[in-house]
Amino acid sequence: MHFKKKSYAFVRRSQVLEKRERNLGWFLVLPSIVIISALIIYPIIYNLLLSFFDVRMAGGNLFTGFRNYLDIIGDHEFWRSVWTSLIYVFFTTIGTTLVGLVVALLMNREFPFRGLVRSLILLPYVAPVIAVVYSWQFIFDPVNGIFMHISYDKLHLFSQRINLVRSPETSIFVAVLFGVWKNFPFSYLMILSGLQSIDKGLYEAAEIDGCSKWEKFRYITFPEIYFLMGSIILLRAIWNFNKFEEVYLLTQNVKVLPVYTYLKAFTGIMDIGHGAAIAVIQFVLLIGFILVYVKRVLKW
Amino acid sequence: MKKSFLVVLITLLLLSTAVFVSAGGQQGEKGGASVSKGPVQLEFWTRETQSDRMATIQMLIDTYTAMNPDVSIKLVPVDENDMALNMRAAVAAGKIPSIIEIDAEIAVALGTEGILDTEAADIMLNKVGKDRFFKGSLRLFESKDKGVYYAVPYHGMIQGIWYRADWFEKAGLEPPTTWEAVAKAAEYFNNPQKNTYGILVGTMETESYDEQCFTPIAMSNNAGLFDKDGNLIFNSPEMKEALEYYARLAKTSPPGPQTWRARDYYLQGKMAMFFYSTYIMDDLAILEVAKGSLTSDNFKDLKGAEFDPDLVKNTKVVTTISHKKDAGFGAVVSMAVPKQSDPAVRDAALDFLTYLYSPNAYITFLHMAVGGMMPVIEGVADTDRFLNDPKGVYSRYGKEKIMEIVDGLNNIESFGLVEGNRIEAASVIYSKKIIPQMIYKVTQEGMDVDDAMNWAESAMKELIK
Repeated sequence: MHFKKKSYAFVRRSQVLEKRERNLGWFLVLPSIVIISALIIYPIIYNLLLSFFDVRMAGGNLFTGFRNYLDIIGDHEFWRSVWTSLIYVFFTTIGTTLVGLVVALLMNREFPFRGLVRSLILLPYVAPVIAVVYSWQFIFDPVNGIFMHISYDKLHLFSQRINLVRSPETSIFVAVLFGVWKNFPFSYLMILSGLQSIDKGLYEAAEIDGCSKWEKFRYITFPEIYFLMGSIILLRAIWNFNKFEEVYLLTQNVKVLPVYTYLKAFTGIMDIGHGAAIAVIQFVLLIGFILVYVKRVLKW
Repeated sequence: MKKSFLVVLITLLLLSTAVFVSAGGQQGEKGGASVSKGPVQLEFWTRETQSDRMATIQMLIDTYTAMNPDVSIKLVPVDENDMALNMRAAVAAGKIPSIIEIDAEIAVALGTEGILDTEAADIMLNKVGKDRFFKGSLRLFESKDKGVYYAVPYHGMIQGIWYRADWFEKAGLEPPTTWEAVAKAAEYFNNPQKNTYGILVGTMETESYDEQCFTPIAMSNNAGLFDKDGNLIFNSPEMKEALEYYARLAKTSPPGPQTWRARDYYLQGKMAMFFYSTYIMDDLAILEVAKGSLTSDNFKDLKGAEFDPDLVKNTKVVTTISHKKDAGFGAVVSMAVPKQSDPAVRDAALDFLTYLYSPNAYITFLHMAVGGMMPVIEGVADTDRFLNDPKGVYSRYGKEKIMEIVDGLNNIESFGLVEGNRIEAASVIYSKKIIPQMIYKVTQEGMDVDDAMNWAESAMKELIK
């Protein structure tokens, strides 16, 4: 009897303790929850809310239901910009990853001044966007630029001078090229660190088995960095899907989704309702992509 | 466990929303109702974003605040293309500037939305003397209601076609005063093989410059956006003719979408004509200034990088283009006082503006951009004080030429003014850059002229409905 009483008290005490511990836990995560709610969840919900309104700057928003969404989905320019975005994201992501991989493989070998070269490669990534954008515009200027001077005046590669950066037919290529050049160092840095963590013993064993260089890459290097590269591709795709400044500052007429949003919602008269609706659509598209990608490629 | 987590999350969410909403509300009230005591703080938004111009304005501010120690003035540079957007954002946030320097289209657009203080403008006009303002520039700021003005004109510029008179003479061509003369010369001098071009017209979809070039061409063909009763008459045979003509000129522009920055090609001797405002006067007149604005400094090996000291002598300007009638284009920039709830701020703003209109301050301000900033009140342009600018530019052109240019301010045409009636919807179309987008579609994307005009018409209808 006495024993039973004691065990009952013990259980109760442990329940109290558990409850206290749980409360302490909540107390400790409270600041994070508050911050995340205020800085992430609140803006998302507020944006969602705005997308159902005709927003008026002077106050008195008008509820319009799905009108903003229907406007956007019915806009031919919107679908054109989705297409442009897909092209931009696809080629820049593939480009940055492949160039990053090749450079990382090269930099993983021993050679003099390796440290210096390794850090110099980071230059495009760390240089301020606005400065390099202007340099690129000077280089590709159709009348005075060095590129046209060499390719048209000297090498006669083109039949006429072309404004590569600004012409609607060519600007997307320049934007992709710029995106790859500017951002490959990030992929390179990540892949290089992945390469350095591969066990050297694997390569030695492969050598004993008589593997070629390609086989070593195919059966050791690639599987070892597969998930790393998968994550890099995912990150780059997300970043470039939302990329505004590099594209807009360089060309202005490559209308990827963020540029379309800016022109639609913020030129001249602000149209916050439409802007919010585009942001929601963009968010849904991106989440859809991430879900499929994570399941198929990263195999979570 | 899951349930309690959800409850906490939702409570926090609601809490944070409530906090934000109330904070937003308070902010709005702050901009709205409080009456300041003690020193008054003004915020002056200027479109002169260049550092040397800002330094001059800061000097004027320092002089004023030295005389009025209980007023402090914060100078904020805002790019002219972003002015309307930033202003609306400021109103939404309840942080309204005290004085803004804006052009007529933006003034009308903001004024129509009820953001500007027309009473303050009236007080200012009377202080300076309504009769002293050039009528042509004053009417640009008039609202639908006669005698009510959205802002007070401060300085103006005239746009014209600047051309190489020596090339024209050598080729035996007429000065570019008519549609035929301009097109003929543009096609004659356009030689992309030799990297020389006919005429620069704006073709970039995001730049107001396109509309500034296009307006006089459309106007000279009697093509407007609205009739005097405010009905949209944009899609007319006259407008189509003007757009086709513009596209023809654009074929002789340097490759790809271009904007005013391409004037450098003219300074390098690679272009025969360009649409530009009187702002170019000092670039042309002063060797050092022109050198400073040449982007080709980076490419010294390339031909044409050397500056031609005879350029000013060989450059002439026509300020009107004629076809069915004469039309000119210019822009007048004003000082506007947004509506304030704090009378102290408004009074201080008006007092500072009064100082800016005093002869010394006014001329100091105008001399910041010699050529680009012409006086819009009588009794300034013909004074020695004005004509003796620090760089000696006006003396090179002579008093007569300067007076002729200043007189041009009376003949400015605008899509928003039809037979004396203010059509406010034109400002909305201007600020949404419909015409630049239409021009871009035709000249760069190769869209059919009719299709582009139909597109523009439906975009305009959407905006003004």
